[in-house]
Amino acid sequence: MKITTFAAIYIGSYEVSLKIFEISPKKAIREIDHVRARVEIGKDCYQKGNIGYELMDELGNLLLEYKKIMEGYRVDAYEAYAGGVFRDIKNELFVLDQLFIRTGIRIKVPSNSEHRFIGYKAVAFRPEFDEMTKQGAAVVDVGGGNLQVTVFSGGRVLSSQHMVLGIMRLREQLSSIQNAVAHYEIPIEELVNKDLEVFKSLYLKDTKIKYIIFMGEYVTDLMKKTDKKGSQLATVEKFVRSMRKFYRKNIDQISAELELLHENDPLLVPYIVLYTRIAEELDAEEIWAPGVNVSDGMAYDYAERHKILKPLHDFDEDVISAARQLSDRYEGFSPHIDALVEMSALVFDAMKKVHGMGKRERLLLQTAAILHDCGKYVSIAHGAECAYNIIMESEIIGLTHLEREIVASAVLYNTYPMGDYAELADRLDQESYMTVAKLSAILRVSNAMDRSHKQKFKNVKAAVRDKQLVITIETGDDITLEKGLFAVKAEYFEHVFGIRPVIREKRVYK
Amino acid sequence: MDKEKTFTNPEHYENRELSWLKFNGRVLNEARDKEIPLLERLKFTGITSSNLDEFFMVRVASLKDMVHAGYKKKDIAGMTASEQLDAINTATRALVDMQYSTYNRSLLPKLKNRNIVILDAYEDLSEEQAAFADAYFMETVYPVLTPMALDASRPFPLIRNKTLNIGALIKRKGAEKEIEFATVQVPSVLPRIVEIPSAQEDGRTFLLLEQMIERNLSKLFLNYKVVCAHPYRIMRNADLPIDEDEAADLLKEIQKQLKKRQWGEVIRLEVEDRMDEKLLSILKKELHVADADVFEINGPLDLTFLMKLYGLKGCDDLRYKPYTPQRVPQIEPGGDIFAAIRGGDILMHHPYQTFDPVVEFIRRASIDPDVLAIKQTLYRVSGNSPIIASLAQAAENGKQVTVLVELKARFDEEHNIVWAKKLEQAGCHVIYGLVGLKTHSKIALVVRREEEGIRRYVHLGTGNYNDSTAKLYTDCGIFTCSEAIGEDATAVFNMLSGYSEPLSWNRLVVAPIWLRKKFLKLISRETKHAKEGREGRIIAKMNSLCDKDIIAALYEASAAGVQIDLIVRGICCLKVGIPGISENIRVRSIVGNFLEHSRIFYFQNDGQPELFMGSADWMPRNLDRRVEILFPVEDEEIQKNVYHILEVELADNTKAHILKKDGVYEKIDRRGKTLVNSQDQFCKEAKVKEPKDKGYQERVFIPAEPAQ
Repeated sequence: MKITTFAAIYIGSYEVSLKIFEISPKKAIREIDHVRARVEIGKDCYQKGNIGYELMDELGNLLLEYKKIMEGYRVDAYEAYAGGVFRDIKNELFVLDQLFIRTGIRIKVPSNSEHRFIGYKAVAFRPEFDEMTKQGAAVVDVGGGNLQVTVFSGGRVLSSQHMVLGIMRLREQLSSIQNAVAHYEIPIEELVNKDLEVFKSLYLKDTKIKYIIFMGEYVTDLMKKTDKKGSQLATVEKFVRSMRKFYRKNIDQISAELELLHENDPLLVPYIVLYTRIAEELDAEEIWAPGVNVSDGMAYDYAERHKILKPLHDFDEDVISAARQLSDRYEGFSPHIDALVEMSALVFDAMKKVHGMGKRERLLLQTAAILHDCGKYVSIAHGAECAYNIIMESEIIGLTHLEREIVASAVLYNTYPMGDYAELADRLDQESYMTVAKLSAILRVSNAMDRSHKQKFKNVKAAVRDKQLVITIETGDDITLEKGLFAVKAEYFEHVFGIRPVIREKRVYK
Repeated sequence: MDKEKTFTNPEHYENRELSWLKFNGRVLNEARDKEIPLLERLKFTGITSSNLDEFFMVRVASLKDMVHAGYKKKDIAGMTASEQLDAINTATRALVDMQYSTYNRSLLPKLKNRNIVILDAYEDLSEEQAAFADAYFMETVYPVLTPMALDASRPFPLIRNKTLNIGALIKRKGAEKEIEFATVQVPSVLPRIVEIPSAQEDGRTFLLLEQMIERNLSKLFLNYKVVCAHPYRIMRNADLPIDEDEAADLLKEIQKQLKKRQWGEVIRLEVEDRMDEKLLSILKKELHVADADVFEINGPLDLTFLMKLYGLKGCDDLRYKPYTPQRVPQIEPGGDIFAAIRGGDILMHHPYQTFDPVVEFIRRASIDPDVLAIKQTLYRVSGNSPIIASLAQAAENGKQVTVLVELKARFDEEHNIVWAKKLEQAGCHVIYGLVGLKTHSKIALVVRREEEGIRRYVHLGTGNYNDSTAKLYTDCGIFTCSEAIGEDATAVFNMLSGYSEPLSWNRLVVAPIWLRKKFLKLISRETKHAKEGREGRIIAKMNSLCDKDIIAALYEASAAGVQIDLIVRGICCLKVGIPGISENIRVRSIVGNFLEHSRIFYFQNDGQPELFMGSADWMPRNLDRRVEILFPVEDEEIQKNVYHILEVELADNTKAHILKKDGVYEKIDRRGKTLVNSQDQFCKEAKVKEPKDKGYQERVFIPAEPAQ
């Protein structure tokens, strides 16, 4: 049996962890070691805005130790990720560069959405996950810097929201008053309540969720307190009741009850408050704490990318579903969007040999097609810019930051002419620039076919023949508008692909 | 509430130092047991002497520190430090009297009957013997002696801890009024006893080295006349005051403190009785010793030389027949030890069974190409440890080797520093213990990459990784490749390497954080069963019991009706037979040829018994200030075997002493009973267990001989 040994290093805002996994098709993922060391990056970061020399030194030494451990296990591959805390510091690039030079370890700083997606993958690989999301669930990922809530219904993503309510951040914000109050649960609650209320009224208006899936530190310990059998599942009522008991106690007492080694963790109370408030606010019935974190997700991600494991959950469907929810929110016009999604897919598939793009880009194209009109909700005149901004500001779970940029740009250049690479170099690398160009060209042509939004064409077929993309359509309507616009869009298409699209009509009389 | 108070009432507790002295008394009892071969009795006498030395250096020393510091807190039995010192002084004097009366009245005459003579007065030498002794002195002893005199220009010299010295008063020839003090150390590099020609044919005679020097003392001070000369010996405070938080490099700090140790306060002065009064007063003054700390000894000082005499050649009939540790049935010598462990958990009971598999385990791992890492804790190791050699080898073979070396292992500090450096040079990752905690746990982990993925092999034991003491101490060890324990073992080493503790433990219970709670929980579960009318039962075997919380919990359990049997070799602060409190507790102490060392804990748990073994005693230091591991015995077959160990020890009526209500330990009246000697029985059982059909080839090299 071929076994891959994989190591995941994760640099969080107060802890650096190393997990060693064995990945094999037969036994899936088996954790064989988990090393954790406390390094309070968040302290420097949220107070000073950068990582100081001493802290960097500490990090470097630790990474070298981890490297030795990885060598000891003879790992086949490893990945190192840094959490949101790195996105908040000013000297990120210098720190990463220094660490690379010292240790040879390249640390990736994923965007928030990628980060959440990876963590979420670890949960989604669990067999219980699909059943829970079918019945309605919110995956709540509590981190040092941020809080992410992803809502599922009927097995599909509804929305994913990112709130600036990280544990480390809360603590730093309250550090000045910490000594002034005996129990600072109350000020934390006040800070948290506002954001939770807004979230609830905007995103959970018509959605009923049954499960809260918690990811984050101490949640497993807290669950143990709730359910003596150490089950990962408990009712919200029971959970909240046992959490509320901690409110009157000090850190020492709580740590003793939870049997924690680290007896004076100032993050413990913020965690408890956050878990409690979320559990109370989301109106769910049960809490599930699967005990996984980003590192597990990194292993699943690696296993998936290297085709060692196949996920039970369809992550692409999540992207489509999230995009549709977004489109709905901004009252995108559905029949037209369906037609466009279908049409663009048709063109994409017919041109596989010409555009050289793969499955992932096809997903991006569909996402762009779904979202291309969402800006009109804000402004009809500047629909494209608004759509670009909406997409960039929304979480679409399953897309990386760059992919979101590609989708948003494809939507933008569906309407506006696309400039030279030099103009866009600050947003896109060359490869992504080409992807945007190709996707927007396909989008334009497809969009032109339904300019009137009346879906005049039936039984559309597309094929590449003699340097031409021949689109065969059946229609009984007057298509003068479409034909006229098509010529304009075709030029850009030809510029990108070196192929001219033409329309062949088959008249159908009703 | 009141009830709770009675459980913790100091009246119900025994002082630990006095209890320890009782233990040493039990060892001395062995020396007085006429059924034991003569040289074995000599050995036991020697042991009591070295035990007492250590006791003074550590325990008495720290009590003295407390008195100096004005520390007022009372001990478990409600005694202040100075009250304890007084009581210890009285008890020690009684013990020493007993020691020397045993030596003088029983052992010496018995030896003489066998024509073995130990001369402790040079005046008794015959002419021939004297000539021999003088020649030996000039040739061997004289060159290594450093006589030191004391006068205005030469201050009182450093007298080293535990060394034997001869103090003398001397007069310069010609200026006979002035008396000077001089001292010479009896060299510790030379044997303490020197065999000299015997008066009888086929007899053997030994002269103590100090007597030989005394006789020839005038040769050291040529222009002087020796007025009188007497041996003396001092004991210093040997506790290392190490501020670990401040010490940047623990290794260097300990080295520094070791140098200081030789200047520690003198806490005991032993002198030959009938020592010249003037000489004694000089010693007392210069060494700053109070009268109470002067012990006048009726016989040779420092009886540890008797342990050397134990090895006397040609007297096999005066010793027990040497016992050869037997093979562990599941492990074939030279076979694949990893395969054997995969076949199921393996229990080893040392020294009845050999310690070789443990040595082999590490050796194999060091050369096995599939082994990725070896991690081990080392507390006390033997002089030329094969385990250390294998660990160094493994590192050289490119394996990840992590070794936790406990530098703070008392009296082994110096020794440990040397080989810790050796390991470091070989490329091992050496951890010098944890700040504020001694790592006492005994665990070895081998990580091996196999067809099915990584597999972890773990050895957990109750005794040190020391192949020499494994022949003398009774200990248990388990080999397992259970995944749950393997994960825990990895977590233990992560923790010891300074990383965060694991999110949860599977099987192992680790001190200082979780162990005390676990024990209290296990005890109170029995209490609960008893209170609810079910049977409660605890059997626990350990070296020492002096933790107040645990004892209080045991009292509570006993009061609730739990039947408790304790097999405690050494200190026991628990009192038995207190009405309403400890009537259901029985305590026995087994002192035998092997040193009882294993720790086994049995809890009946209402018919679903749980058995544990581990490295921890029920002492505050084990539960609070040390890294210890308690591991469950889960395999059914092994459970039976371990329970059997407890059963036999509870049935022992030969070597067991029973603690009585009045705090006195007594042997069992054996009249009309079948004799059970647990250590003997285990020896026999180990032999029987050896499979008859060996199934493996004993290696024999057959030399090729030339054809005729």
